[in-house]
Amino acid sequence: MIGWIILAVLSLILVWLILIYNGLISIRNDVQNAWKQIDVQLKRRHDLIPNLVSTVKGAMEFEQDTLEKVISARARAVSAPTPATKAEAENMLTQALGKLFAVMENYPTLKSNQNVMQLQEELTSTENRISFARQLYNDLVANFRTRLQVFPNNIVSSMFNFKSEEYFGAEEADRVVPSVNVSLKK
Amino acid sequence: MPLTFIDIEKHKTWRIWVFFLLLMLLYFVIILAFAVLLLPHAARVPMRLWFFAFLTALLISGIHFWFSAYNAVAEVIRGLEAQPPDPKDDIHKMLTNILQEINVVAGNKRKIQCVVIPSLSLNALAAADLKGEAIIGITEGLLSRLTRPQIEAVVAHEAHHVLSGDCLETTVAASMFGTLSSLVEKSAQTSRGRSFPHPALLLAWGLLMLGNFLNMFISREREYRADAAAVRMTRNPVALAETLYMLSRSWRGAGFIGSGFEMLCIVNPEATALDEAEGFWADLISTHPPIQKRIDILLTMAHMNIAGLDTKIKAENASMASPSGPAYYAMNPRQEWQGPFNLAELSALSWLSPLTWVRIGDEQSIDRAWKNPFINTIFVARLSQDEKAAPDVTCPACHQPLVTESYEGTQIYQCRFCAGALVENSKIPRILARADRNQPCSERVKTLAKIQVKENQLKFAQQKPAILNRSSVPLFSCPKCKNPMYRGFYSGAYLIEIDRCSFCGITWFGQDELQMLQCLIELKPLGAPQTLETP
Repeated sequence: MIGWIILAVLSLILVWLILIYNGLISIRNDVQNAWKQIDVQLKRRHDLIPNLVSTVKGAMEFEQDTLEKVISARARAVSAPTPATKAEAENMLTQALGKLFAVMENYPTLKSNQNVMQLQEELTSTENRISFARQLYNDLVANFRTRLQVFPNNIVSSMFNFKSEEYFGAEEADRVVPSVNVSLKK
Repeated sequence: MPLTFIDIEKHKTWRIWVFFLLLMLLYFVIILAFAVLLLPHAARVPMRLWFFAFLTALLISGIHFWFSAYNAVAEVIRGLEAQPPDPKDDIHKMLTNILQEINVVAGNKRKIQCVVIPSLSLNALAAADLKGEAIIGITEGLLSRLTRPQIEAVVAHEAHHVLSGDCLETTVAASMFGTLSSLVEKSAQTSRGRSFPHPALLLAWGLLMLGNFLNMFISREREYRADAAAVRMTRNPVALAETLYMLSRSWRGAGFIGSGFEMLCIVNPEATALDEAEGFWADLISTHPPIQKRIDILLTMAHMNIAGLDTKIKAENASMASPSGPAYYAMNPRQEWQGPFNLAELSALSWLSPLTWVRIGDEQSIDRAWKNPFINTIFVARLSQDEKAAPDVTCPACHQPLVTESYEGTQIYQCRFCAGALVENSKIPRILARADRNQPCSERVKTLAKIQVKENQLKFAQQKPAILNRSSVPLFSCPKCKNPMYRGFYSGAYLIEIDRCSFCGITWFGQDELQMLQCLIELKPLGAPQTLETP
């Protein structure tokens, strides 16, 4: 009888372990998926920038400095090796783009150029997607961290060596985002 | 989110069954009534009649439910004549982009389509059905009146209705009873004045009543939840508050969006006192919470008050109206009025110059383009790309900075817009002496010069004393010293009118005037008997 009880308790513990383990794995996969989403959107931004620069450069030949800053910031962001340097380079790029959009306001001919307007809309949309993807990632990371740290999950997480994920440099990035949302439309 | 998507779906399913039972009850009563009236002998066997009515009602309501609940989204789209966004339209493209952005922040959980409702009203709705289709519909009016962040907030709000599952029950209810009730409303409008409505509409009328009754099951709380979720997604409570504020003061589509669809909309198309009321009955019957309360909650999140919002919106409207708001009309080189243009479109006109006549809207006053400070920014911007611009010397006609140009080997100032030239007196003989060195003057200038001289000879003969006394009315002020410039002939031998400043020793040549003078010199060289007089 006692043997049966022990067996029942052990199998309950096993089921409980499996449930917690699977739950953690599922959230970790969500977090990793959200990280990939940020990558997808960053790639989209990197692809759009050369188009925008080549379209506006004719009309903005006296803003070479601003354009060069955008191009070099993009190059740095594309080649950044680690997530930390990547976040920093992307923030630089966001700043450079914000400056470019602000300068573009001074060129009425650009405002009436449909190509430029379309590219501007695509970039604004991409900037939003990046910030939304980052927001989702950070929310999921917060959720994941809580799950790892609460009792009894912390026992399982230390048993299976789960590591908490890093937040995506929200503080630095949030400071510079609003400038990009400037719309030339109206 | 307090509940998962699946939890909410389960939670809502019982309401959909209630809708089904109500529908069946309606058919049951109607069939029973018809059976008693049309088949009096059947009424003698009540059990058989009840059984017949029950089976027929089950069958008809089953078919009705299946067609409306399974294909509800298509039904809503048809009812509102909505269209998918046009990929070639910039604003529609923006809507598609915004939807994708909201999909990103929602973790790409569900595929949502967007449609545009061809109405000038300001409203938006969401619909989903048992087939798995989900749409967000936005009116053309809302798309064109709202800014990008405001549209983002609206799409996020509607996306939450779809993602949380609460829009499934509203869509099923709307589709079961709304489509037909909209039909009733339309026919009621067309048959107004007739004493009897069409008998076939009796069923639809019953459905309309039932639809209104169903509102009791639609909680107004879901709008608060969707507002909160929209803020969580976009982190911008002010944009949503601004939108609701604008919607509360605009036409929301009453008459276009049938009352059957009201529960799908972000705000009730019809402004009713019930919606703005609070309390047990209002909570029970109304589908939407008071807009004022929704705005207040959002503003509290943003630490603002309604007065602050009011001032902000007014200031934004004013700033939008001043630089690009007015419609400009411009007179083209063929002396025809063209327009309306906004500032950006005006700047793209190749023929726009500071001297173009411009009118704003329907105003009577017409003025030169350079006199309007907003239009003048276009010329400033054009010249700012020109490094040769000399900001301290402006064209006496167009009032724009002149550019230094090399002409016949010497430096003169030229106007990019009216093609006039400002030349220091000391340089004029140089230019005239070099007249035939490069290119001979063109036929056009030659003809122009001949006509001009002929006209001026007549003028000269008539007004000789006045011209010689330099008493003609000054046209321009000197770009350097601002004193009046005197208009007169270059000399008695070369009858080309020019403007001179006797203080600074400079001469202003209008378009082609310098070339005409050169042409006359070419035709009548310096060595000829009438020698060149220096000014």
